[in-house]
Amino acid sequence: MTTNKIEIKDLTVNYIDNKHSFNALHDVSFGVQSGEFVSVIGASGCGKSTLLSVLEGLYAPAGGSVQIDGKELHGTGSERGVVFQHYSLFPWMTTKKNIEFGIKQTHRNIKRRERSKLADEFLTKVGLADAGSKYPSQLSGGMQQRAAIARALAMNTEILLMDEPFSAIDPKNRIILQELLLSLWEGDGTEERKTVVFVTHDIDEAILLSDKIVVLTAHPGTVNEVVNVPFDRPRSRAELVKTDEYNKFRNKLLSLLNTDIAERIGGEEVVL
Amino acid sequence: MTIAKRYLRVVHLLFIALLLIQLLPDKSTKDVYTGKLITFAVAAEIIILIISSFIKKEESLKLVVDIASFIFALLGVWSLATAKFNILNDLLFPAPGKVIHQFVEDKDKIFINIESSLGTTIKGFLLAVIVAVPLGLFIGWSARVGSAATYITKFFSSIPPIVYIPYGIALLPTFKSVSVFVIFLATFWPVFAGTMSGVLGVDKKIIDSAKVLNVSKPEMLFRVILPASLQQIFLGCNQGLSVSFILLTSAEMIGARDGMGYYVKYYSDFGDYTRTITGLLVIGIVVIAVTFLFNKLQSHLLRWKR
Repeated sequence: MTTNKIEIKDLTVNYIDNKHSFNALHDVSFGVQSGEFVSVIGASGCGKSTLLSVLEGLYAPAGGSVQIDGKELHGTGSERGVVFQHYSLFPWMTTKKNIEFGIKQTHRNIKRRERSKLADEFLTKVGLADAGSKYPSQLSGGMQQRAAIARALAMNTEILLMDEPFSAIDPKNRIILQELLLSLWEGDGTEERKTVVFVTHDIDEAILLSDKIVVLTAHPGTVNEVVNVPFDRPRSRAELVKTDEYNKFRNKLLSLLNTDIAERIGGEEVVL
Repeated sequence: MTIAKRYLRVVHLLFIALLLIQLLPDKSTKDVYTGKLITFAVAAEIIILIISSFIKKEESLKLVVDIASFIFALLGVWSLATAKFNILNDLLFPAPGKVIHQFVEDKDKIFINIESSLGTTIKGFLLAVIVAVPLGLFIGWSARVGSAATYITKFFSSIPPIVYIPYGIALLPTFKSVSVFVIFLATFWPVFAGTMSGVLGVDKKIIDSAKVLNVSKPEMLFRVILPASLQQIFLGCNQGLSVSFILLTSAEMIGARDGMGYYVKYYSDFGDYTRTITGLLVIGIVVIAVTFLFNKLQSHLLRWKR
């Protein structure tokens, strides 16, 4: 067994909100292997976004540890690229400038012309070849997220952290973006895949994209179970959703997600 | 735009009306320079026709035409009240042609004074912006929450800058430097306060996305916080600019030897009200021109906002 790229151990995070301190995450432990796509799912308020801000280095935990490549995590780092739900891009820079600015952060010595070429290349990859000179406010939400993904990929970090990147996108475009991310991440098999931690509340999104799904339960956020996704790659949504295995797996996840609700309302496990 | 929309405008009727008014006999006993007024009106009309032929946006044409209509109407009423019917005292109220004549006569002197006034304003204003913006960024960013700096700024910016003039005169060697100093103070505090409030108001999400990119401290200040607070900074600059003109002209009327404020004060002391009114109009035009250019700069730098 290889050592994990990201190792989270007994992570506890307290959130202070209006002078009340509450336990957002409690004793969360799981590992992410190099090149693995891991989704974190859970109901809203379960601390999944908090978990990601700890990984991003924006929020300091109260206890436990997070290690990347065996080294304790301190603050933000250039080995991690991030895509947020909103405002990943700077509104005063054109789409292309945003990507170039991102590239500059991870590749300090890269030449201007090289940077511009790389930015164009990734804009084309996400289908925004003509939108390079546009400002984010001139793009739809879906196009903004495409650009954010292009920037994260162009920065070529080993780890990608994605915090509900498609939650604010309409259903049709969400599916298109999921497929785009999937094909970009899977690649043609020649390059090493990036390590991804992807936060979502959409079960189908998590199944389609992930190797492994971490199910969190709320109040406080704890790991209910870590489930391996048993479907071969490359995956196709259209074929996947038709199979019985998919539905069985989906139901299993749903009941895991709803354990805490079932306990609270005093019923059996809920299977929808 | 159709030809009718381009050329069928009230402004042209007003132009003709203005010319017809000039056919009336003069009642004023003084020289009223009707020819100069007609030359001016014809030149303006030609410019409007040229603009009408080339302008692309209907909205912009409407703006130009409406302003021109106002000018023609004003000149018409002004001629009637002075040269044609002599309703107003012709010592205090010169005819429009006379003001135009005076402007042409004095244009060298006027341009020297404009240059002096603008030079002083620009020096004080730019110096203030160059010092206030980086300082505001730095202080606003280091003390992000509950900053005492906000209150201290409120105290200093509540002192009307004009009261610094006597102290400035005692402190500084030339009257010019006093003007620059006072304009500096008048611009510094609003720009500094605007920058700080801009920094404090930057969306946390924007700061987070900069942090996760691992930007350096100078990049954080000048490539993230600065553009994110630019709108507030411009708010402060606009305030500083408008106060600067008021202060400058006041200062020039107190003790300067040149500048537009001096021109107006000097000639009104001699009872030369033609030059006084010429000076007033020139100051108005200069201030409008500077404000217009500054707004252009602002909308260019903020073009990414919707």
